Amino acid sequence: MPELSYREAVRDAMSRAMREDEDVFIMGEDIAEMGGSMAVTQGMLAEFGPERVRNTPISEMAIVGAGIGAAMQGMRPIVEIMYEDFTTLAMEQIVNQAAKHRYMSGGQLKVPLTIRTQGGAGWSPGAQHAQQLEAWFCHVPGLKVVFAATPTDARGLLWSSIYDDNCVLFFEHRTLYGLKESVPDELEPIPLGSARVHRKGDDVTVVATGRMVHESLAAAKDAEAEGISVEVVDPRTLQPLDEKTLVDSVKKTNRCVVAHEAVTRMGFSAEVAAVIQHQAFDWLDAPIERVGSRFTPIPFAPVMENFVVPHAGDVLEAIKRTVARNGG
Amino acid sequence: MLLIRHFEEKVEERFRAGELPGFLHVAIGQEAVAVGVCQAMEDGDVFASTHRAHAHALARGTHPNELMAELYGKLEGCSHGYGGSMHLYDVERGNLGANAVVGGGLPAITGAALAFKLRGEPRVGVAFFGDGATNIGTFHEALNLAQLWKVPAVFVCENNHYAESTPASQQLPITDLEQRAVAFGMHSTHVDGQDVEAVYRTAQRALEHARSGKGPVFLLAETYRLVGHYVGDPQVYRPKGEQQELRETQDPIVKARARIDISTEEYDALEREVLELVDASVDFAKAGTDPKPEDALKNVYA
Amino acid sequence: MAVEVKLPRLGQGMESGTVVKWLKAEGERVEKGEPLYELDTEKVTQEVEAEAAGVLLKIAVQEGEVPVGTTVAVIGEEGEEVEIEAPAADGKAAAEEKAAPEPAREEESEPAPVTSNGGRVKASPLARRIARERGVDLSSIRGTGPDGRIVAEDVERASAAPAAAPAPVAAGEVERRELTSIRRTIARRLTAAWTVPVFQLEASADMSRANDLLARLRERDPDVRVTVTDLLAKVCAAALIRHRDVNVQYTDDAILVFPSANVGIAVAAPQGLVVPVIRGVERLRLAEVAAARADIVARARDNKLRQPDVEDGTFTISNLGMFRVERFTAVLNPPQAAIVAVGATTDRVVPLGGELAVRPIVTLTATFDHRAVDGAPAAEFLQTVKDLLEDPGLAL
Repeated sequence: MPELSYREAVRDAMSRAMREDEDVFIMGEDIAEMGGSMAVTQGMLAEFGPERVRNTPISEMAIVGAGIGAAMQGMRPIVEIMYEDFTTLAMEQIVNQAAKHRYMSGGQLKVPLTIRTQGGAGWSPGAQHAQQLEAWFCHVPGLKVVFAATPTDARGLLWSSIYDDNCVLFFEHRTLYGLKESVPDELEPIPLGSARVHRKGDDVTVVATGRMVHESLAAAKDAEAEGISVEVVDPRTLQPLDEKTLVDSVKKTNRCVVAHEAVTRMGFSAEVAAVIQHQAFDWLDAPIERVGSRFTPIPFAPVMENFVVPHAGDVLEAIKRTVARNGG
Repeated sequence: MLLIRHFEEKVEERFRAGELPGFLHVAIGQEAVAVGVCQAMEDGDVFASTHRAHAHALARGTHPNELMAELYGKLEGCSHGYGGSMHLYDVERGNLGANAVVGGGLPAITGAALAFKLRGEPRVGVAFFGDGATNIGTFHEALNLAQLWKVPAVFVCENNHYAESTPASQQLPITDLEQRAVAFGMHSTHVDGQDVEAVYRTAQRALEHARSGKGPVFLLAETYRLVGHYVGDPQVYRPKGEQQELRETQDPIVKARARIDISTEEYDALEREVLELVDASVDFAKAGTDPKPEDALKNVYA
Repeated sequence: MAVEVKLPRLGQGMESGTVVKWLKAEGERVEKGEPLYELDTEKVTQEVEAEAAGVLLKIAVQEGEVPVGTTVAVIGEEGEEVEIEAPAADGKAAAEEKAAPEPAREEESEPAPVTSNGGRVKASPLARRIARERGVDLSSIRGTGPDGRIVAEDVERASAAPAAAPAPVAAGEVERRELTSIRRTIARRLTAAWTVPVFQLEASADMSRANDLLARLRERDPDVRVTVTDLLAKVCAAALIRHRDVNVQYTDDAILVFPSANVGIAVAAPQGLVVPVIRGVERLRLAEVAAARADIVARARDNKLRQPDVEDGTFTISNLGMFRVERFTAVLNPPQAAIVAVGATTDRVVPLGGELAVRPIVTLTATFDHRAVDGAPAAEFLQTVKDLLEDPGLAL
């Protein structure tokens, strides 16, 4: 079993697809010679050539729009938006065009476009290079949203995203690129819409995405030392959401914490909490807790950034609140 | 052109009668551009249109029945009731969609042309847009990238000198829109958009240029809108008498008729045929099937 | 026009009551003023009369505890359509009664505020479901969750308490008396009282003059039977007015000192112990006290006491003398700060002027809430009681 880092896993999925399928190609800023600002596409220019590994100007609308056009003609382009903060520049094409062509045409067209992007705070990138915006896209019918937290998941899910016939936003987390893991020899596609239980437990379910999956696992360990048994579940695909796995877990544990790095207010956790509250109402022994960034742009100074962004400690505190007793 | 003209007039009439939901933008006065360019396109070519899309759809062969049915929101419509006037699609005939967002369809045409180039297909992507769209970001990014990658695309600017209600003087910093193309280093050409034959010839050349791999072309067609921006537009922004004068001097159908050798009988017969076609399309549409409410849940995802 | 029968607030601080039994059935005609159902409050069970005439169209609450203001039934014309909302879990009506000059009736000094929030029980959805499934009454459970919320574990603990099935005894049968709500109330209140720090003082009084007085009064007016209890009530009231430090109640915020002596008389009624109250005893003549006492005792024995009869007491007299009990200690009647237990008046040998004499002696044992009353004032009070009993003229 080879060991792959998260970025290598992403590269592997794209490369395998491009080797098998002429219709797959990639484009984005600085992805060719430089190999991408996050070094994800390193080596791909050499293997596939400049026609299929295309540097673009700084033109997010055109990058995404061209991807849409090529996808509508039956190709499977993967476009890279360097920072998810810049998806804002291409919002019109993503939301008004890619998400809606199939619907507006009454089913005549499909847009099998994959938009890869990354984000994440923790290294003082400043407010415009650190956002987590996945929730916005979950709110647009016609888009699919994936957020992998491990190399194995990234590889299997990116493959499925490329071969999904819809526009998929594939989110990567910057701080996870170096994370290494043993992966199966052969790429095993992971279907979109399936959650993964990382850790089984009985007292509380922690639903986490991205970096917070790992923070939650750390918090779960600490909680165990205090006698609290924590189950950690990663939805992996945010849209469509594997509601059943999440709800079944909460029905077992009777308590829930939802954790993501994105701002808590109006974040993805709000939807998860609503779904769980609705389907597992009579199983809840405590209010659903949410962990996320505080309601501020991401500050620059490390001490402030640290304060705003959530960590394992916040998850642990939330866990404890769900099992608290009088005076607790 | 007659078909388009009478179709659009019928549409106006039906809209005023309260039969058509939503809002409509008719292309009366701009028929020659649509017909000239669309007739010059070949099978396999694709195009994206604007909110003023009936003309292009009809010119490229979408049957008036399907078009009218779409305006009436019926399942038999070319978009099966899901799109409406501003989201007309006919993928079989290369119509990749009218777009309600100004400039929204341009980047996808760059993308389609890119696909043709990567696959080595002799196909061209055509984008229709107005003078107003030359201001928006997608226009600049799409043309910029198209030229950079030398993709087989033709960008047709229908300069009717108004962006909705805003006259050119208030929204364009330049008067010669071919200058837009210069900024991208793109080959450009222009034509009198009210002369259907001229448009046809110019379009042929532009398509050939793109198809041969020489790169994209910016085709500027000077035209006039002989009606308001949308059906019911009081046009308070238009100088008194302008529309009337244009109707008298710049009607492409009148001009075409003057140029070709056609007798009054032949013309009248043609007109009758067209009117029948148009009336039949209304009947077809009215007799069409309303979608079921739950049909709204289909086609969200492939 | 249909009229909703709502659970009445019969006394200050009453937040809920228990419907015990319906005296009319659905479909039966009722007249205005007719007894409609039996309502149990914490102090007394009484009949509630219908306020309107008509047909009892629907009984919404068959039995059980509901907040004041809950619609328990509907009276209207035959055939009328009736729609009632399910009894609200929050007794909003109960929450208003705070402005009254009278002290708050803190009958409950329970550890967890189960019925705070105006009667709404805080319980997690899971706890509610388990309670529902097992037929456990949430209001009887103490919550250990944050803010006193009842969580699943609390319900499970409560319902897991072994329900002792009476083991079939070979010879004879163990009778099982289900707890009435009165019994539960008594248990609850006296258990709470038991947690109060108390001390007892004992004094014995020579009842010679008292007995003479009572005999003369009965002679003068045979219709009014003045008893030792009446005299005691009068004497205690006088003593309470003289020793206001004993006519008090302890609350978390303050000691409340009452202007008047409302004396409660403990009565052994068939349904259980009740303590009806005679108000303002210090202002009543002995004959009036006797009349009042006779009335409330009779009504107590007939289970016809109403809520106002059992409210506002500041002091209680418990007399077991008629059972020839010599002396005993009574449990405080919360929230009162003092209670006197009266034994039998018996002839005893006492030293008198150096010689032995036989006198009728009664032993009084008074219990005091030490949070509110100190030893010295309590002793002085008891001293006064004794003095007044031994020489009733001193009460003038």
